[in-house]
Amino acid sequence: MLTLQPSLPITLKVPLAVAALMMLVGAVISEQVLSRLAETQERHLAELSQSYLDGLSSAIAPSILREDNWEVFDAIERTQAVNKSLHPKETIVTNADGAVIAASNPKVHPIGTVIPVWRARDASNESFSFRAGADDAKAVRTLSYPGRVAGIIYATFDTRHLASERRDVVLALLLTNGILTSLLAAAGWLLVTRMMRPVRVLSEHLGVAHATSALPISDEIVAKTRGEFGHLFRAYNSLVRSMKEKEELAKRLAEEKRLNSLGRLASAVAHEINNPLGGMFNALSTLKAHGHLKNVRDVSLGLLNRGLVGIRDVVRTTLTVYRSDGATRDLQHADIDDLGLLIGPEARRKSVEIVIANSLNGAMPLPSTPIRQIVLNLVLNAVAAAPAGSVVNVAAAADDTGLSIVVTDRGPGMPPEAADILLSSSGSPPPYDGGGLGLWTISRLIADLGGTAVVQNPAIGGTVVSVNIPTATAELSNVA
Amino acid sequence: MDQHPDRRFGRREILLASAGMLLGAVTSSAAESRSRAPIRFGLTPVFLTSDLELLGRLQSYLQQATGYPVDLVMRRTYQEITALLTSGQLDAAWICGFPFVMHRSELQLVAVPLWQEKPLYQSYLIVDRDRQAEGLSDLRGDVHAFSDPDSNSGFLVTRAALAEQRVRPEAFFSKSMFTYGHRDVIRAVASGLAGSGSVDGYVYDVVAQMEPELTAGTRVLKASEWLGFPPIAAPRLPTDADRLKELTRALHRMRHDPEGRAVLGLLKLDGFEAQEAKLYDPIAAKAALIAEAG
Repeated sequence: MLTLQPSLPITLKVPLAVAALMMLVGAVISEQVLSRLAETQERHLAELSQSYLDGLSSAIAPSILREDNWEVFDAIERTQAVNKSLHPKETIVTNADGAVIAASNPKVHPIGTVIPVWRARDASNESFSFRAGADDAKAVRTLSYPGRVAGIIYATFDTRHLASERRDVVLALLLTNGILTSLLAAAGWLLVTRMMRPVRVLSEHLGVAHATSALPISDEIVAKTRGEFGHLFRAYNSLVRSMKEKEELAKRLAEEKRLNSLGRLASAVAHEINNPLGGMFNALSTLKAHGHLKNVRDVSLGLLNRGLVGIRDVVRTTLTVYRSDGATRDLQHADIDDLGLLIGPEARRKSVEIVIANSLNGAMPLPSTPIRQIVLNLVLNAVAAAPAGSVVNVAAAADDTGLSIVVTDRGPGMPPEAADILLSSSGSPPPYDGGGLGLWTISRLIADLGGTAVVQNPAIGGTVVSVNIPTATAELSNVA
Repeated sequence: MDQHPDRRFGRREILLASAGMLLGAVTSSAAESRSRAPIRFGLTPVFLTSDLELLGRLQSYLQQATGYPVDLVMRRTYQEITALLTSGQLDAAWICGFPFVMHRSELQLVAVPLWQEKPLYQSYLIVDRDRQAEGLSDLRGDVHAFSDPDSNSGFLVTRAALAEQRVRPEAFFSKSMFTYGHRDVIRAVASGLAGSGSVDGYVYDVVAQMEPELTAGTRVLKASEWLGFPPIAAPRLPTDADRLKELTRALHRMRHDPEGRAVLGLLKLDGFEAQEAKLYDPIAAKAALIAEAG
């Protein structure tokens, strides 16, 4: 009974527990009452039957010796008549040999018949037998005179009224217990419902909080509730208020972050567009000054063309990142060489020399735009980190497995947190503070292409960043 | 009693008369009752003695009609009552024809009840209602219930019928018992304790009227010839002639008195009348028969 289903509400559990306890108590009390009743009935019946047998014995004693059938019969009838309360059912008087002298129903036990042995066996001693709830009780009395047995009395008493009395008591007990159990269970339900009302209020509010947003408990209810639950309600309301404040703060922060991300994206895009712009303006000035020279014009137009293509590619890349569509072009030898031109102005501004070792031969089945972005960003970082007058080496090589790009600078070495951003997997969020956005973009692009990056800080100083992009067809189709 | 005057009676009468004169002849009958010796009237349980109302009213009627206090004396058997009667301890007793004829020399008839306007009754041989039997001979081996060894209808008639066949009851019946009451004979047969019984026909018919449920389980197998009704007898030499005279008159006048009629109504009798002793000759013949049979 104490292992009630945990899913049941406490308002049911308590009344059920009360009912179960009451039933247990009722069962124990009923058992006690019934066993006491059975004892009382048996004792009462035994006493009455003994007095019945005493009366009959003294009435028939003289007649039994004479075997006066009529007197014995008359005595049985009279004794039965005056002992109606005992409900005598059958009385048989036999002589010492078991032959009937007279019986209350002579048609069943005629004079002289010997009654069955099993009953006569009881005659050796006085006995009384009664079982609670049985329909009859039996008593046997041997009439002895010094020296010999004169006769035996067998009496059967109808105890159906006792059985029905027992049934009445059982019914009364059942009714009383049932009513009491129901009343107590109802009282338990009322009490618990009343006691649990604040908990239900709290629970409902928490349920609402789970589904939507937490609502404070109305002041009216709080004012009405005293004691522990009053404290609890006030505590809950202050919790709700503080949660609301936090929620609003979080909303504001999210908004700011969104704006920040947009800004950074725009800055990255601008950065990517700005990078080739220096070279392109340079080409335009060269065209203005030496446009009449065919070879100069051709080189400058090619440079402008590649710069514009780069810008288009950045735009496309941005679209690809945010829209996941657009055409791709295979990587060309010139894509790497162009980077020298794109970064040239920046490198010259910082007095850094860029040495490109481009061993690519023809087109490679790799998308040119993300690789150009990777290399561009890596080189821009290297140039930014390199001290004036140093050299930044860019090596691009291809083999059967894929493309290998190594960018080496002589700077102070990539800080570990920056290296972490570069080496982190594609699932990590962009850095909060906007710093390292370039590195994060590289790491995402490398991951998208299924490649790997290694950052080394050699003992001689500077940073070596190696990127390997595999050319497996399946992987390419995955990244496209 | 008229034939047998008692000297003591005369003296008492004179004394009482003198006393009455001394008291200015204003002595009430109640005062007389108190001063007189009571009439002792014997009854046996063979008869309808279980009815206390009847006994009370009979006593009350007899006291009022005789002017004497009346003691109703009851004993268990005819024998005891007959002994009291013949020994002069009773003024009169309602006995049976059998003891009357047996003690004829010591007794005189006082009155004979009239049943259905006749001083006669029958003895019934009764059996269980469903029993297949046509006569006494079918009852061989029975447990038989007699009412009293001194009863005509409850013993003598059946005993004489067996004697005519030269059989003794103890040989004919497997067992016989005496219930010392006609009503109890009916009870014994109705309950099945006895297979058959000999009973007073008048008692049986009255019980059949009063307690039909008791006789319902029985039937009359055989009714005897009509015999003299159990009489009221007195010692041939009355203990007190005046008391007997008053008692006799009270009995004979019973049917003319409202209270008497009420008692008769309870008894289902029509009255009491004087009869010749020869009314009991057939009973005497039966008694002679069994005496002869031994």
